[in-house]
Amino acid sequence: MKTYILQRFIQMIIVMVVVMLVSFIIVELPPGDFLTTLREQLTEQNVDPKVIDSTVEMYRARYGLGENWFFRFGKWAWSLMKGDMGYSMQHNRPASELMGERLSLTIWISIATLVFMFVIAVPIGMLSAIKQYSAWDHSFTFLALLGVSVPSFITALVFLLLSVTLLGATTVAGLFSPEYVTAEWSWAKFVDMLKHVWIILFIVGLGDTASTIRVMRARMLDTLGEPYIDTARMKGLSGAKIYFRHALRVAINPIISSIGLRFPQIISGSTIVAIVLTLPLIGPLLLDALLGEDVYLACSILVVLTLALVIGNFLADLALAWLDPRIRFES
Amino acid sequence: MNSPPDTDKVLDIRNLQVSFSSIAGATRAVNGVSLNVRSGEIVGLVGESGCGKSVTIRSIVGLVPSPPALFEDGEIWLRTRRGMTETLSLYKNMKALRQIRGRDVSMIFQEPMRSVHPMMTIGQQITEGILEHEVVDPAEAYDRTVEMLDLVGLPNPPAQMNRYAHELSGGMRQRALIALALVCHPQLLLADEPTTALDVTIQAQILELIKDLRERMSMSVLLITHNMGVVANLADRISVMYLGRIMETGTVEEIFKEPAHPYTQGLLASMPSLFSQPKTHLQSLRGVVPELAMAPKGCVFADRCPHVMPICDETPPVVELRADHSAACWLYDDVEASPGPDAATAQPSLGGDSTLGDASQRVEVIPLTKTEPTAHADQEKLADSDTDQLQIENVALHYPILRGLLRRQVGTVRAVDGVDLSIRRGETLGLVGESGCGKTSVGRLVTRLVEPSAGRIRFGADGRLEEITHIPQKEMKGVRRSMGMVFQDPLSSLNARMNIRNIVGEPLMLHGMAKGSAVDERVGELLEMVGLRAAHQSRFPHAFSGGQRQRIAIARALATEPSFLVADEPVSALDVSVQAQILNLLLTLQQQLNLSMLFIAHDIAVVRHVSDRIAVMYLGKIVELGNAREICVRPVHPYTEALLASIPLPMPGLATLQEMPKGDLPDPANPPKGCRFHTRCPYSQPICEQEEPPLLPFADAVDHFGACHFQDELHLQGVEEIGEIHGPAAAGGEE
Repeated sequence: MKTYILQRFIQMIIVMVVVMLVSFIIVELPPGDFLTTLREQLTEQNVDPKVIDSTVEMYRARYGLGENWFFRFGKWAWSLMKGDMGYSMQHNRPASELMGERLSLTIWISIATLVFMFVIAVPIGMLSAIKQYSAWDHSFTFLALLGVSVPSFITALVFLLLSVTLLGATTVAGLFSPEYVTAEWSWAKFVDMLKHVWIILFIVGLGDTASTIRVMRARMLDTLGEPYIDTARMKGLSGAKIYFRHALRVAINPIISSIGLRFPQIISGSTIVAIVLTLPLIGPLLLDALLGEDVYLACSILVVLTLALVIGNFLADLALAWLDPRIRFES
Repeated sequence: MNSPPDTDKVLDIRNLQVSFSSIAGATRAVNGVSLNVRSGEIVGLVGESGCGKSVTIRSIVGLVPSPPALFEDGEIWLRTRRGMTETLSLYKNMKALRQIRGRDVSMIFQEPMRSVHPMMTIGQQITEGILEHEVVDPAEAYDRTVEMLDLVGLPNPPAQMNRYAHELSGGMRQRALIALALVCHPQLLLADEPTTALDVTIQAQILELIKDLRERMSMSVLLITHNMGVVANLADRISVMYLGRIMETGTVEEIFKEPAHPYTQGLLASMPSLFSQPKTHLQSLRGVVPELAMAPKGCVFADRCPHVMPICDETPPVVELRADHSAACWLYDDVEASPGPDAATAQPSLGGDSTLGDASQRVEVIPLTKTEPTAHADQEKLADSDTDQLQIENVALHYPILRGLLRRQVGTVRAVDGVDLSIRRGETLGLVGESGCGKTSVGRLVTRLVEPSAGRIRFGADGRLEEITHIPQKEMKGVRRSMGMVFQDPLSSLNARMNIRNIVGEPLMLHGMAKGSAVDERVGELLEMVGLRAAHQSRFPHAFSGGQRQRIAIARALATEPSFLVADEPVSALDVSVQAQILNLLLTLQQQLNLSMLFIAHDIAVVRHVSDRIAVMYLGKIVELGNAREICVRPVHPYTEALLASIPLPMPGLATLQEMPKGDLPDPANPPKGCRFHTRCPYSQPICEQEEPPLLPFADAVDHFGACHFQDELHLQGVEEIGEIHGPAAAGGEE
């Protein structure tokens, strides 16, 4: 078990380094750099060419943009390890400041979505399998199919449309009511957020919940057909004990191992929804940074997201090892 | 509801009728089955797959899901702690049914590998059963579980309590499952093919255990099996089932000595036994078990029965031949007065060859034993026998075991560890051993499907032997034209998306031997050669039964007219009657085409039946090699003796075994030092743990080798060839 944890931990670190390198390269890849963008912007603003030259030169020196990429990567990676996320050239503010609240909100919403997905999907999928071909099963199989097929931004748009036309709402988008958007964090602001957040959970989590229902149903059906379930039945166990004690722990396995993978899906899925509903999440910021070739901001966001993903995966692996003796045994 | 039966019976099934509804309509899987089990009795329910055995036995405890099952008629009376109880009526009362399960009646299943929960310890799973039925504190439940694990012969029971399924071998899992089933002392154990998935030596151990526990726990057993051998030495009474009906019921002696129903006779004759005349055709039943919906009206066996009469269109009566022996057959309708079906049955010959070579007088009256000598029975292939078709020298196949982050090699699985063999032209060499012994790997090495780690392989397509050990795949393609291969699983070895014409014709096209309509023609010929219709070329594999698929696989293997065939367990996935048909086909083809064959199987009776010589393999090594019959009559290696002894003989009272090989097959990654068999060998001496015995000629025999330190001293017990004038003294060989 110890070697298993150590193994996973080392793998985690290797993945982090590779991701840092790759994300840096990818962001560096397109021709031109931030200075090109800056020069164009200033030219459009009809700034004096001499001023443009000096401004650009200043930025070049300040960020070491003239150096080779390897040097820049080392510089960036080193400061990242010290906790310095770098400086957004576009916004002229420290990256960590820009990310701050958005990041915590994003992670919060992602975890909430995962919990929402779990709590809704696992029981529904399980019951669908136990009562296969019942009215319950048929209706949820249909709904799950619908949920899988409809992209989340469509759901978001439909929701916007409905709340404006039917409910006459004026402020449907956003995570807060207008009066709280810029307010300091307070209990009232938190309560206000809870009022808004369930809609976001629903829209962001719908697709994943639907697919989890389908996975859970199929896995449960497979498991219930296994001979060891017959063994359990022949002990005289009640249905509940068979389903929960014997079948569920086997059936839920792939869902747990997929948690780590769901995480980035939720973040990228929520990006589109965040744009449609103007939510202060990290996704739109990342998109912005990528479009503006704001290297350090984009890389920092990518790295932080990867870190979240890798840690999520690590936790999922641990949960799986705790649940399944065979995995413990293999290591 | 009728009155409960007399209390001597633990189980009484009366006229059970179970149907399954589907889109195609209802089919009756169990059609009026009556069966009973008395106190302390072991009853065998025998029949081929798809005959409704499992549905019958599962109906007793409500394990048949309904719907789709429909219980149309019948009663099942079971003796419980509350007196005789009708269990079919309990289906609506799950609570009452649950109280019976595990407490009054228990069940063990066919696949021990999958019947133990993978994520719960053995201890948890067994104590759970106790706690479900009895008010005991967990400590007592724990103690009782340990005791039970000890009783079923698991070593170090307290340690087993904390182990998981994946840490136990198949045999150990079945023992644990038996402990689980019996921990509440039920009066009846239902065993659904409990040994089918296990190796022969393990099967023998488990059967012995069931027999032993029956006495010690004074319970009754209802055992389902397709293997007549299994019931012969275990059961007191036998019921033979076919397509949802009981064909014949009787004591084990009567069923085996005087089988009355043609189906029983056919089943018995289909089995290659250790007494049969090798290389002769087995008496097989015609055709295959039909789909339930296609079953004949009247007697369901009519379309396969050699004695079919016009009256068979009507449902046959169950005729009491004598006390405790009845058959559902029109043949005996008029002999009800006079017991002894001999007169009626002795006449019609099934037109085949002998299999039950029992020489005792009694056997003379068995209709099946009329010996009809086959033309090619003992034909010597003198012309060819001098030249070898295949020689392998010191061939090995090692797999590295990689562990850890850096995939370091921490060990080696020695699947094949230095094997020398040769196969002469026109000869069949049987390779026998338990699963994991490396026999399949030898087949794959010979055909170069895997790269050998060491050694030489030489093969002669049609002349001189040529080295093929490491020739490139391009050259190997040419060699493969002379090699055919038949695999174990006829379903997964045929591509489901290709039609038969392309499956069988592919080798022809690959080797450029035919094109276009020439392929169709040749495929047609091949299909007819293996007993299928040429017109079926356009069909897909799913349209064929298991036996037919294996015929297709054989046709494919023979498409390029190879001179050498590797048959890897070609019959072990098939039903008994179909198995006989396929063995007959292989024998015929081998003789017609003068094929050399490497025949790989785990069942030494099957191997003996088709082979000229047998090589016995254990943990990657050949431990004995010699003439097929000689090896069976006078084995020189204790492992061969054990294999022979583990074969359940279809002859009650003729138990072969004195001492079982102990335990399981050791880990091939870590084989025991010295003689690899010493950990399980009853004759083991100190030297066996130190020195590995080489394969040496046995005594004065020319062609008989053994790898045992004591082969010249030990007198091991083989199987006497009853009714054959072929003494063990004839060592020295015919070849």
